[in-house]
Amino acid sequence: MSSLIKTQNLNFSFSSGVKTLDNVNLDVPQGSIYGFLGPNGAGKTTTLRLLLGLLRNQQGTIEIFDKQFSSHRLEILRKLGSLIEQPSLYLHLTAKENLDIYRRIYECERSRIPEVLKTVGLDNTGKKKIKQFSLGMKQRLSIAITLLHQPQLLILDEPTNGLDPNGIIEVRELMKKLNKEHGTTVLVSSHILNEVERMATHVGIIHKGRLLFQGRLHELQQMKTKQSLLEIETSDNSRSLQLMKDQFASQESGGKIILPFQNKEQTAAINKLLVQGGVDVYALHPQQSDLEQLFMDITNTNN
Amino acid sequence: MNFFVSTRAELIKIKRSASLWICFLGAGFIPLIFLLNYALQPAKNLPRLMMFPWAVHFGIGWHAFSSFLLPMFIILICSLIPQIEFKNNTWKQVFASPQPLANIFFSKLFVIVVTIILLFLLFNFFLVMSAVLANLIIPKYGFLKSHVDIITMWKLNWQIFLSVMGIIAFQYFLSLRFKNFIAAVGIGLALLIASIIAIPFWDHAYTLPYAHPMLTMQNFASKKNQVALPKHEIYSVFYFIGFALLAFLDMKYRKERG
Repeated sequence: MSSLIKTQNLNFSFSSGVKTLDNVNLDVPQGSIYGFLGPNGAGKTTTLRLLLGLLRNQQGTIEIFDKQFSSHRLEILRKLGSLIEQPSLYLHLTAKENLDIYRRIYECERSRIPEVLKTVGLDNTGKKKIKQFSLGMKQRLSIAITLLHQPQLLILDEPTNGLDPNGIIEVRELMKKLNKEHGTTVLVSSHILNEVERMATHVGIIHKGRLLFQGRLHELQQMKTKQSLLEIETSDNSRSLQLMKDQFASQESGGKIILPFQNKEQTAAINKLLVQGGVDVYALHPQQSDLEQLFMDITNTNN
Repeated sequence: MNFFVSTRAELIKIKRSASLWICFLGAGFIPLIFLLNYALQPAKNLPRLMMFPWAVHFGIGWHAFSSFLLPMFIILICSLIPQIEFKNNTWKQVFASPQPLANIFFSKLFVIVVTIILLFLLFNFFLVMSAVLANLIIPKYGFLKSHVDIITMWKLNWQIFLSVMGIIAFQYFLSLRFKNFIAAVGIGLALLIASIIAIPFWDHAYTLPYAHPMLTMQNFASKKNQVALPKHEIYSVFYFIGFALLAFLDMKYRKERG
């Protein structure tokens, strides 16, 4: 799979002198949904703004569609759609008027306006001004703008921010649909691991300006599973530990038994062992590590 | 992408915006006062409008408009149009769209100039309308019996337009530089007031952009407009070029856009 976005040694500092990005080597494969994951302030938006030329590049190179951004800005921007942070819309205009502005700039047919409005479910807003729209509607209209010229690449910065659960699902499904049906490569940032897991094929994790992990989603899932624990609540913890000691490295913590989680089969085997040994099992669940924990683990691995 | 496309997109943005309202209100304010004055006080106005009604009407109208109100409305228009992007948080989308920076910059400046030309046209139109309506209410006025001196009016409009060019570019520069609308308007109004105060006292007032419209009107009133282009109007044109270039370079080399 060739790379659609490739950055090399991207460094960036704001005037405070603190490094916001530290040698970021982003590699977004063509045809992927690349989940760019990191907590608030990790450097996600700064990276995306650099990719779009909204920040002047200080050090490193940016290649999009195999071309240097600095020397092919217009050519690259013509082939991508972007949504950075909050919706960028003219509140005194209607949805159609907002789309008409960008339809002219992207030089696409007028017929694209009703098409994209239908795609995002805003085809019945008529003469309603954007200032009367809900945040979810604004976000969907912003996405419609990015779709006007049927871009090969979408760069979306936290597109589900402020959306209700239904809206989140709709946006996620829309990204998957565009990726599947039109082959659109999507670079989407988020601070929610769960959200990225549900749509991404590839993941990049950024923390304090450093790209700590980059690879396919299943590689991250393997890593996450490796860090997960199995928690067991029983009627007799001492007896349970005794029964498990030959096969599993378990210990008691906070009134529960914990041990590294491997797979579903391991869970079933433990349950069987305890029940057959005369212990009542009240609860048995894998406790997956959260994002913060995963960050710490990846950081430790990298150090 | 051509400049025309960017300009069409910019024109859509000012639809229903405050800048257009300011344009209509600004152009209609003085003609409305004139209409009320002519209609309510004919005895006072008839003698001075007897000989050359249109010339006197336009002369007084433009004098009242150009010294303070016109620069003030220009300050507001130049600030309100870029403010559309700041207020709606749309600069980032504009800069991430496939438009050359020169198109983004100059199409907006072009729309500002077009809006100001509209302000001029509307002001002339409302001045004519106020005189015609006054004449219909008080038939003794001679507006309907005499002709407008189109050439003199065109020359007056053209020279006043030249005189405000420096203000346009400087205010545009300020309004791109300051996210806060009040800052650009505040600086503009302070400089306008300072310039008006400086005119009678300072021999070099012709160097002050905000003094230029008033100097043009003074020239017209004292019939000094024989010179092809008075010194302050040449300054105004050079200020326009200089500040527009400065504002463009400032946008181009800014570390952070949008």
